[in-house]
Amino acid sequence: MQAETPTSAFVTSAAEADIETYFTALQWLHHEAELLDDNRITEWFELIDQDIDYRVPIRVTRERAAGPGFSTDGWHMFEDYGSLAARVARLETEYAWAEDPPSRTRRLVTNVRAARHGDGSLIEVKSNLLIYRGRYDAPEFNLIAGERHDTLRRSDDRIRLLKRMVLLDQATVATHNLAIFL
Amino acid sequence: MRTERENRIPSAEEVLLEMGASLDEGLVPAQIFNDPELHKLELERVFSRAWCFIGHESEIPSPGDYCLRYIGQDPFIFVRDESGRVRVLFDGCRHRGAMVCRAEKGNASHFRCSYHGWTYKNTGELIGAPAWRDAYGQLDKKEFSLLSATATESIHGFVFATLDEDAPPLDEYLGDFRWYMDVMWGLADNGLEVVGEPQRWVMDANWKQGADNFAGDDYHTLFLHKSMFEIGVYQIPPRANMFGYHVHAGNGHQMSFSIAPDRDDPGPKFWGYDPEVVKLFREENVTPEQFELAFRSRVSVGTIFPNLSFLQVPLTHDPKNTPPQGCLTVRQWQPRGPNRVEVWSWYVVWKDMPERLKELSYRAAMGTFSVSGIFEQDDAEPWQSIARTSGTVFARKRNLQYNFQMGMGEHATSKPAADWPGPGVAFWPRYEEGVQRSLYRRWHQFMTSASYPSSISAQESAAASGRRDVSGNGA
Repeated sequence: MQAETPTSAFVTSAAEADIETYFTALQWLHHEAELLDDNRITEWFELIDQDIDYRVPIRVTRERAAGPGFSTDGWHMFEDYGSLAARVARLETEYAWAEDPPSRTRRLVTNVRAARHGDGSLIEVKSNLLIYRGRYDAPEFNLIAGERHDTLRRSDDRIRLLKRMVLLDQATVATHNLAIFL
Repeated sequence: MRTERENRIPSAEEVLLEMGASLDEGLVPAQIFNDPELHKLELERVFSRAWCFIGHESEIPSPGDYCLRYIGQDPFIFVRDESGRVRVLFDGCRHRGAMVCRAEKGNASHFRCSYHGWTYKNTGELIGAPAWRDAYGQLDKKEFSLLSATATESIHGFVFATLDEDAPPLDEYLGDFRWYMDVMWGLADNGLEVVGEPQRWVMDANWKQGADNFAGDDYHTLFLHKSMFEIGVYQIPPRANMFGYHVHAGNGHQMSFSIAPDRDDPGPKFWGYDPEVVKLFREENVTPEQFELAFRSRVSVGTIFPNLSFLQVPLTHDPKNTPPQGCLTVRQWQPRGPNRVEVWSWYVVWKDMPERLKELSYRAAMGTFSVSGIFEQDDAEPWQSIARTSGTVFARKRNLQYNFQMGMGEHATSKPAADWPGPGVAFWPRYEEGVQRSLYRRWHQFMTSASYPSSISAQESAAASGRRDVSGNGA
């Protein structure tokens, strides 16, 4: 059940900028955020590669010397294509109370850093994520902040999400459930 | 007591005074689910007296391993000292009270206060501070160890602590529930282990919602969790799922079981654990009666009073590709305010099961019962809105009471089950809210007893919950 250390993703370089890679990644992330915020979940699922590895590690407060506190064996989400498909299928039933009425979400995806990887068909992307989540008529809301480490794969002329690791900035998750995708 | 409806909000003490009688009718006052005064009283009268769950020993396997835990809202260090003994130490420096444990987990031979540097061994013993002799001369350090929980005990690695000198030993506190811990968690030689760290998340709900739900609210699965049946995450049909037992174990501990009628019945045995896991379960580790019940068990869910719940059940996170796996999740409903609960969820596997099956069991449990779990995420909807309703002026002034009458009196469809093979008092089928009535009765007893609440047997508990026609089942 051990995952790679979340901090092992590529290290951003200030020296080089591959503008095509950057814009491809940026456009993809913005498109994905739009589908999720607009609750077009079935269309979002078309952006998911069949070999998807989607994880949200638990984070705990550790002393500085022990590192950032991301668990290597405890998860808030640990998904593959089948389990994500089950989540999407559930949201399509008439009894998905957790998201009906749906949350109003706004995903702010910033600080995008992208690099080609492997034979060129893979793009590694790091980005910052802030999700606003509001429900019902109350003005109160939840904020979820974190960093995404994504790998995008181009195949059949489409770009899909192959890997996602969401590194949360919270030890105790400050929302009542993760019925939304991060 | 308010004989007529007065046009005002009752005090906490008035609510408690009236609740004794309303519980006899199967009614529970809304106000107990969102009231600042009652919340403060709960911290003092329930959480500082009950045996509360601290963690599992497998979370701190080596000397010096520690985790930060809470009893009610009070922080305690759950630590294994250098001699291997598990301790529960209050996380407050004896000098000024600053925290000495500044991480949620780690390994430390000593805990140092960041303020003036008072330093304690992981036994809690004060061993020094900067310029000790210049500052304090011959002051006796032994007088200023970190405070400890009053008593700490462990069963199958599950560690509980109490802060009350008058609390009975843990075995006695657990009543008939103790027997079931062997059934569920005592089968394998090397026992259980927690995988990873517990998930933590918050809801704007009262902590009692979770305790109540897991005490045996099977009824809500027919509707709230209908999506789970539709997509095949839970493969026992909804109506058939109700044909199980509710078990009153005494002292407010409640369970719900679904079991095979006999060993030969097709369908899951041993909670759906894989045959490779079942190989680890040895008859020698428990009594024949306990082994027989374990063999036939499909679903075990329950609440250990006050706020620890568990679920041992076959589930899958991916119904199309992965058959259901035996899973165990243990969760604690930590009070954070009158309408705020912090959920802690642990995932537990058998220590000697193959890694591949540990991962499957973890993923099945976490994918269904967790902050993201497709089963559990729906529960937050009603639980949060119950706190909203219960906190209204209208509900309090009108003395809104919730209906917990299912299974009571002449309307009861659930009957005492003479064929139940364990201790306690069982009812069949699960159309019965006596388990919740017993939970609230125990809560009420804690909230109103000046001295340590006396034990309530399962028989008394079941009878008091509105059933006069019960007698105990021996085991």
